[in-house]
Amino acid sequence: MRRCSTFISEGAGMFELRDASAGYKETVIVHHASLRVDSGEIVALLGRNGVGKTTLMRYAMGLCRQVAGEAYLDGVPLPQSTSRRARLGLGYVPQGRRVFPRLTVAENIAAAAVACGHKPHDSIARVFREFPMLRQKADALAVTLSGGQQQVLAIGRSLATQPKVLLLDEPTEGIQPSIIDEIAGSLLHLNRQTGLALLIAEQNLDFCLSLAQKAYVMSGGTVARTVTTDQLRTDKALLHEMLSV
Amino acid sequence: MQVDLVGITLISAVASASVLLIATLGLAVVFGLMGVINLAHGEFIMLGAYAALLSTRAGLPFWAAIVVAVILTAAFGAVVEVLLIRRLYSRILDTMLATWGVSLVLYQAAVVVFGAVTPGLGFSFPSVNIGAYGISAYLLALIAVAALLTAALYFLLTRTSYGVLARAAVQDPQMSAAIGIDAARINTATFALGCGLAGFAGAVLLPVVPATPGMGFAFVVKAFLGVVIAGPLALSGTVMATGLLGALANITASVWSAVFGDLLFFGATIALLWLFPQGISQRWRLKL
Amino acid sequence: MSTQVSGGEVTDLSLPRRKRDAFLAHRGIWMALLLVGALAAAASYVDSYLAYVATSWVIFGLLGLSLDLIWGRAGVLSLGQTAFFGIGGYLGSVAAINLAPLTGNTLIWSGPVGSLAGACIAGLVGWLIFFGRMAALQATILTYTVTLIIWTSAVSFHATVGVAVIGGDNGLAEIPPFVVGFGNAAAPLSPNGMLACTILIAGGAYLLSASLMRSPFGLLVDCVRLNAEKTELLGYDTRKIQFWLFVLAGGIAGLAGALFGHWANYLTPSVFSVQECLLVPIYVLVGGRGTLAGPFVGALLVGGLSFWLGGGVIGGQTTLVMGLGLMVLVLFVDGGVIGAATSLVAKGNRLRAVGTETEGEHRHSPVTALKSIARQGSDGSLEARAIVRRFGGITPVNGVSLTFQPGRVYCLIGPNGAGKSTFLRCCMGSHSLSEGEIMLAGKRATTWKTFERARAGLGVKMQTPQIFDELSVAQNLWVAAYQAEHDRRAADRKVAAVLTTIGLAARTKLRAGELSHGQQQWLDIGMVLCMSPAVIMLDEPAAGMTAVERGVLASMIRELASSAAVIVVEHDMDFVRSLDAETIVLHQGELFARGSIEELRRNEAVLDVYLGRRRHVRTA
Repeated sequence: MRRCSTFISEGAGMFELRDASAGYKETVIVHHASLRVDSGEIVALLGRNGVGKTTLMRYAMGLCRQVAGEAYLDGVPLPQSTSRRARLGLGYVPQGRRVFPRLTVAENIAAAAVACGHKPHDSIARVFREFPMLRQKADALAVTLSGGQQQVLAIGRSLATQPKVLLLDEPTEGIQPSIIDEIAGSLLHLNRQTGLALLIAEQNLDFCLSLAQKAYVMSGGTVARTVTTDQLRTDKALLHEMLSV
Repeated sequence: MQVDLVGITLISAVASASVLLIATLGLAVVFGLMGVINLAHGEFIMLGAYAALLSTRAGLPFWAAIVVAVILTAAFGAVVEVLLIRRLYSRILDTMLATWGVSLVLYQAAVVVFGAVTPGLGFSFPSVNIGAYGISAYLLALIAVAALLTAALYFLLTRTSYGVLARAAVQDPQMSAAIGIDAARINTATFALGCGLAGFAGAVLLPVVPATPGMGFAFVVKAFLGVVIAGPLALSGTVMATGLLGALANITASVWSAVFGDLLFFGATIALLWLFPQGISQRWRLKL
Repeated sequence: MSTQVSGGEVTDLSLPRRKRDAFLAHRGIWMALLLVGALAAAASYVDSYLAYVATSWVIFGLLGLSLDLIWGRAGVLSLGQTAFFGIGGYLGSVAAINLAPLTGNTLIWSGPVGSLAGACIAGLVGWLIFFGRMAALQATILTYTVTLIIWTSAVSFHATVGVAVIGGDNGLAEIPPFVVGFGNAAAPLSPNGMLACTILIAGGAYLLSASLMRSPFGLLVDCVRLNAEKTELLGYDTRKIQFWLFVLAGGIAGLAGALFGHWANYLTPSVFSVQECLLVPIYVLVGGRGTLAGPFVGALLVGGLSFWLGGGVIGGQTTLVMGLGLMVLVLFVDGGVIGAATSLVAKGNRLRAVGTETEGEHRHSPVTALKSIARQGSDGSLEARAIVRRFGGITPVNGVSLTFQPGRVYCLIGPNGAGKSTFLRCCMGSHSLSEGEIMLAGKRATTWKTFERARAGLGVKMQTPQIFDELSVAQNLWVAAYQAEHDRRAADRKVAAVLTTIGLAARTKLRAGELSHGQQQWLDIGMVLCMSPAVIMLDEPAAGMTAVERGVLASMIRELASSAAVIVVEHDMDFVRSLDAETIVLHQGELFARGSIEELRRNEAVLDVYLGRRRHVRTA
């Protein structure tokens, strides 16, 4: 069922993984995982460490061995190539930030903009508007930034590709609380303003609860259940079982 | 020690380092932006030299001959990248061996086509005097050429779209794909750039280094060592490495003998490898 | 179900003990010996000019063997073998020129002197490479530069040693030919005799190398190539292993050089030239890297090709063909001629799965088996005193003080980025400390290298299974056991015991790389057990295991803790609970809390840390 989007068309998109199986070399880590992010939705991907969240994200971007299953954007199967997926509207903020260390902040953003055929000046200006803390570091090499600043830059960089869906893998890992606040606020703002859909793999439950409407819970290498964030908030037993704490 | 002797020694050293730098930049670009060691680099220099030589023979002015050389070598480089290099992605030592194969073929072909005898260019350059000593004005000009070339490369790699994409692609290939960079096309462009620079070197050095099928070899050995010593920053590392090693070797050669100059170059290489296993520019916080 | 392990039935361990087994295992060597003898005999019947030229092919094959040892088996592309070849040639020939009149026999001087010279220079270069911990590319460039230096020097090196005159670019002339008899009446060999003699010498060198590669030393060389970090974690000094192999290879190259001097009667600096230096990898690639016999085939083919095309190997059509051939080889053919031939055979013989995989079979940890594995009489304690590790702008470990004593299981938990892995690596020796001390068994181990800590009783299992994928399961365990036991038979016994414990007794011959992820985890655990460590560190050992396996692992860990200090890093809280351990929580590089898992579960501060709970999001 296609939803009618009243937002600015830039953010409209429906992203889906069907029956995904993925792994590295001879090991299969994720099997028969399915999930779906509708336009304008914020969805969380939860689960213990090592359960396969990162592998599933990499599968979505075409960065690991595709054993089985398909990825769809707007109902159309995505091509194998990672760079084409990026240009078609899949944005990716990987675990560990991975900014280009010897490019300046502005160059990091410009690279993403140019690669997807957008004007670098405009993209840089927009990212600085959204994340003012980057502006004063515009000409600094990315390797000199703190962890939190690098995370913000990684998000800004992926926004410069003008994605329809943004995949974020553990964006709060190792980041100080004040910057986590900023990130959460900006993501929410972007989602409301442009309809940008988000899929966030996280261990930080509160971060997810404050942003997402629904969550997929992974267990044993597959997506075990779908819950709403209300359920997560109230059901303590579910919480403990899921996080095994 | 007389001032003019010191002066001429220093200027000769800088000129010699400039010649080496001009010949090395193409290799540095390819190694620094693609991680590929192109052992056929010397043969591309040779191709550029012959292309320029034949162009001037055909009546073109020197500057146009240089342009022809660059275009030809860049185009040929693109072909080699698509047919050969691309298939050996990330196998660094295999690329070395494969490009060595290319160099053997090119060398042999040159011997067959051009033979071993090279007539001169027919230019003559005035000598500039420093006290009691003189140095060819062209060599002095080459110092300027080296500086301009380095500046132009810096501009290309930091102010153009291609430059930013190429630098991103070498720093994190996976992530650059994830933001939409098509690594294959960038790599072809980079290799073509490197070969074009080699062609430029062969052409522009023609007045001082006559074209012979084996000319590339003498350059490629030192260029190769300089590039590995340079480390991850292709431009600044290479300028420092070739500048330092080339100048010191030249001074040693003029004070003692050419053999000692070479020995110093190689000995210093070993010392620098020991001290900076990942290259001298590993810790530098510069862009390029 | 447990595997019956009695003497003689034990399969495919590194060193079989019975004579029949010995013969079978070494049947390759016997066949090679026969082949060498047959070739030497056949040499008498060949046309004498062909014999003369073919001698040079064998000599270059020997040079190629020296490279194959260091490149094919140790994984280091050395472009310096021609340097050792040339030095061996020059010095060996100088010795022969001066001393041959004494004995008549020339080889008796040139052989040993040439080998020794090659070995010594290789020792110097090897020291720079391996004790300087150079990476692959730097090592290759270093060897290349050494060749360049020697070449440049040789061109202008003039000296007179006794009767021998080295004339720079003109080289060394009047080198005596092959004389194997003794006394003044001894005559030089005919070309056929020369060929036969060279085949015997080269064959001898090949057989020596092949036997060496089947010994524990050879197994370790392969281990270093496959996974250098793991080899060091098992307690081996990888630098020494590679160094000595490099010296041996240098000696072989020097021997080849000495033979070359006798063959050509004349040596010039061109033996050190870059063209010659780059030919050697071609011999190895054409024949098959790592096969040891391949370089001979490669030299034969390349030499034969240039013989057939006319003209020397350098210059002329041969160069063109070789250039094209090199490109084709690198692009398409992975194993050279021998590689292609043997891979067809090997596909049949390859170590394959024995039977089917059954889940949850076997694995139990008989108390007796583990007790026999435990280390005798040692103070198995590990202490970290206020250790700090700074890296760039971050401090992943910031003043952690912990003591681990035998008799307990300790669990290290904490959210991502808490510093657990960094802490482990500091204890292991992979990371150096910015501040603080590590004490192992009461001794100050802060500056000890990883292999020294392993020998002192530290056994580590990293998060991803570290195994030698091309070796068999049994060989993997044997390598681990051999370091601890220093005795082949004791190692065999320990391997047999551990195989049962980890449940891979039915898969001893299987190539480790073909095991499933879970089985590889068990193999890795088994290797740690074989070390009989006094302090055991396990990083997420239960990852990827089924519930049944976790149960077995938990009881194994509890059992091991009775005689060792066991430290487990984990995320799976149920597993942690089953270990009955003292639990330590790390957060942002510091010690956050400790106690039993039940206490921590009720601690709200700990839950906050894990779930990142703070009411901090402002809605836009």
